[in-house]
Amino acid sequence: MISDSIPRPASAARQLFLARSDFDALIGALRASGRTVIGPTIRDGAIVYDEIESAAMLPAGMGDEQSAGRYRLTDRGDGLLFGYTVGPTSWKRFTFPPQLNIAEARRAGGVAFDQPPVEVPQLAFLGVRACEIAALAVQDRVFLGGQFTDEDFRARRKAALVVAVQCTTYSSTCFCSSMGTGPAVRGGYDILLTEIEDGFVVQVGSPSGAAIVTQLPTRKPTHAETGAAIDSVEAVRAGLGEPLPMAGVDERLKQQLENPHWGVVADRCVECGNCTMACPTCFCTASVERSDMEGRLSVTERVWDSCFDVNFARVAGGDFRGRPRDRYRQWLTHKFSSWMDQFGSFGCVGCGRCIAWCPVAIDVREELEAIAPVVPPVERPVAVEPAAASPGAFSLARLASVKEETVDTTTLTLMDLDPAFLAARPGQFVMVALPGFPTVPISISRIGTTSIELSIRAVGATSTALTSLHPGSRLGLRGPLGTFWPIEDAYGRHAVVVAGGVGLAPLRGLVEALIASRDRFESVTLYYGARTPEDRLFRDDLARWTTIKAIDVAVTVDRAGVDWKGRVGVVTALFDMMTQDCSRVTAYVVGPERMMQASVQSLIAKGVPPDRICVSMERHMECGIGLCGHCQTGRFFVCKDGPVFRLSELGDLYVREGL
Amino acid sequence: MDENASVISMLDHTWFGSELAPETQEKLASLGSIMSFRPEEVILQEGEESIEFGILLSGRLALRTLVPERGPVTILSVEPGDVFGWSAILPEATAHSTVVATEPSKALVIDGMTLRAALKSDHGLAAGLYPRVLQAVARRLRATRLQLLDLFT
Repeated sequence: MISDSIPRPASAARQLFLARSDFDALIGALRASGRTVIGPTIRDGAIVYDEIESAAMLPAGMGDEQSAGRYRLTDRGDGLLFGYTVGPTSWKRFTFPPQLNIAEARRAGGVAFDQPPVEVPQLAFLGVRACEIAALAVQDRVFLGGQFTDEDFRARRKAALVVAVQCTTYSSTCFCSSMGTGPAVRGGYDILLTEIEDGFVVQVGSPSGAAIVTQLPTRKPTHAETGAAIDSVEAVRAGLGEPLPMAGVDERLKQQLENPHWGVVADRCVECGNCTMACPTCFCTASVERSDMEGRLSVTERVWDSCFDVNFARVAGGDFRGRPRDRYRQWLTHKFSSWMDQFGSFGCVGCGRCIAWCPVAIDVREELEAIAPVVPPVERPVAVEPAAASPGAFSLARLASVKEETVDTTTLTLMDLDPAFLAARPGQFVMVALPGFPTVPISISRIGTTSIELSIRAVGATSTALTSLHPGSRLGLRGPLGTFWPIEDAYGRHAVVVAGGVGLAPLRGLVEALIASRDRFESVTLYYGARTPEDRLFRDDLARWTTIKAIDVAVTVDRAGVDWKGRVGVVTALFDMMTQDCSRVTAYVVGPERMMQASVQSLIAKGVPPDRICVSMERHMECGIGLCGHCQTGRFFVCKDGPVFRLSELGDLYVREGL
Repeated sequence: MDENASVISMLDHTWFGSELAPETQEKLASLGSIMSFRPEEVILQEGEESIEFGILLSGRLALRTLVPERGPVTILSVEPGDVFGWSAILPEATAHSTVVATEPSKALVIDGMTLRAALKSDHGLAAGLYPRVLQAVARRLRATRLQLLDLFT
């Protein structure tokens, strides 16, 4: 019963004992209060909710066995009145009737519309379980929680006195503990019963409940009786086992709208709508117009409807959910995802009716596991604390060797380093200082056990000076800085590395890391584009990678002389070779910004998910630690929030002109 | 498997040929013949009449253009599935670049005059082939635009 104050759980001091032999007194008192008692009774081989006139109509000694697509009554061999779980009917049948006249229209010298007065019966719900109380609360939020309310529902809820019963048994279909709705009743009742061997421990939850209980032949329960009541509910909780991982399922489902499993389950589903009819929270309805033969009086009936109905989402121009998979996805995502957005809770209370009453035994728990499984948390490595991490501070390093990669790009091998540099991650960079020159950011192109490599293209004063250094020179370093490639994003997927020009430098470490843990990826591919064959970086590495099985390498150049026998064309043309399932590709892209843009567009067009595309951004940096402000791009400092970003993190900042 | 069926099967494995209607594939197969090219074999010469239209089935071809004082420059490689000599579809067209095999290659080659005559008389073939050729040319145009940006400088 909805009252102005929320019923509080009764304290142990207010517990009473009612003998089973006196149960008729409770039914009598409820009836004497002017209420029709609705409770469990056996009909058509199932325990349903219907009018109860005496305890003799209750399913004494009966139990039930439920599993996916199966419901059977059993003889428990005891006298328990509530020794079963939930049957096919739910209380919404009485708070939200399957059929209700909601409007009448008349033609008599004009047109008039009338709403029938709200007249509801005074009911007492006997035997309401924890999940069912939660379901009533879910419908409270749907019908009474928003701007527009259903006054018929409000009246029926207010007129219903709730006699709850703790579950002392459970079925394989029950998962209330997973949905946080049971097995213990925590509130929302007027009277709460816990059935034990000879009777009931009774608790009062409201003044209306108290008015009934005071009329009953109760006594104070013994400690053994209250203990037995607690133990019986706890035994159910233990029996239900480990709750399913429902936390975050709403967000996980949002990421799975295109999961092929929707088609698999839809192939099984016969779209009978049983799940929605048996569900205690489903609230969709249709309006049916019925008129007399002369058309003078027409009545609008509201009837339960189902989102599985083929016409449910149809408009004149077509059907928005034309395929069975669309309709199954609608139902499941509403229950476990968008319901949360709309009403602040799941639309499922874990009663299991949809499982037991599905004629093809679809188990919603299994479907959730198949479609939106919990992804085990990936251990993300943490960036090492950088050395010399303050403006003006640098750590000295010795230039051990110099290698000319191309006519304008040189690789410096640095040794005698602060250990922090040797703990760098692929994708990170260092700020490099030479006396008399502006400090510049350089990505680390290889991380060794005693050295790191920096591959530098001579384009400005500092980079030209750096590439002119001789072995033995000393230079200043700050770092390692910035974010690194999330290699774990490609675990179990196809890793695709796309490099353009000198962009291979920040990716070389990633390629080596991918090769080193090759078993964790379905495939590893490098697509590399350069201006000419002579402009290719790391030609020794490319030659080696081409000969090993761990990685597929495809190289193209923009133009070439007659000696070049390889591909000529833009790097995006290499994507024509992709035979991977692109929805399962994780891509790492670095190159000139326009090349990255073209590559990203092509990858997305091929079906690579944007949140699985990582890019490294190049911006003007003077400090590398987020203090100089030069590299700010929207809400990011590229030096410390980047340079590696997932495309989804960048959002509309990606290749936005003028930022 | 007869020769046509074998050519159609090879076409089906190419980007260009896989989306052609079976009857178009069949007509192309009957109009052309499979030719093999040795490395450095010149298939079409820049500036000369474009006499053959081809669909590369395996190997690699280079499209080269002569730049004064730089000599021949490879501007594009033709990969399996792509076309070469598409200007042969146009009457009296000249080849825009020299087509040279850089690897042992195999292609379905159709004489330009035969193809033009077939396209003129067989509207079904024309309706099937022209859009695909246009797509191939559009792909090249898009790639050329990106190359024009000289991204790596």
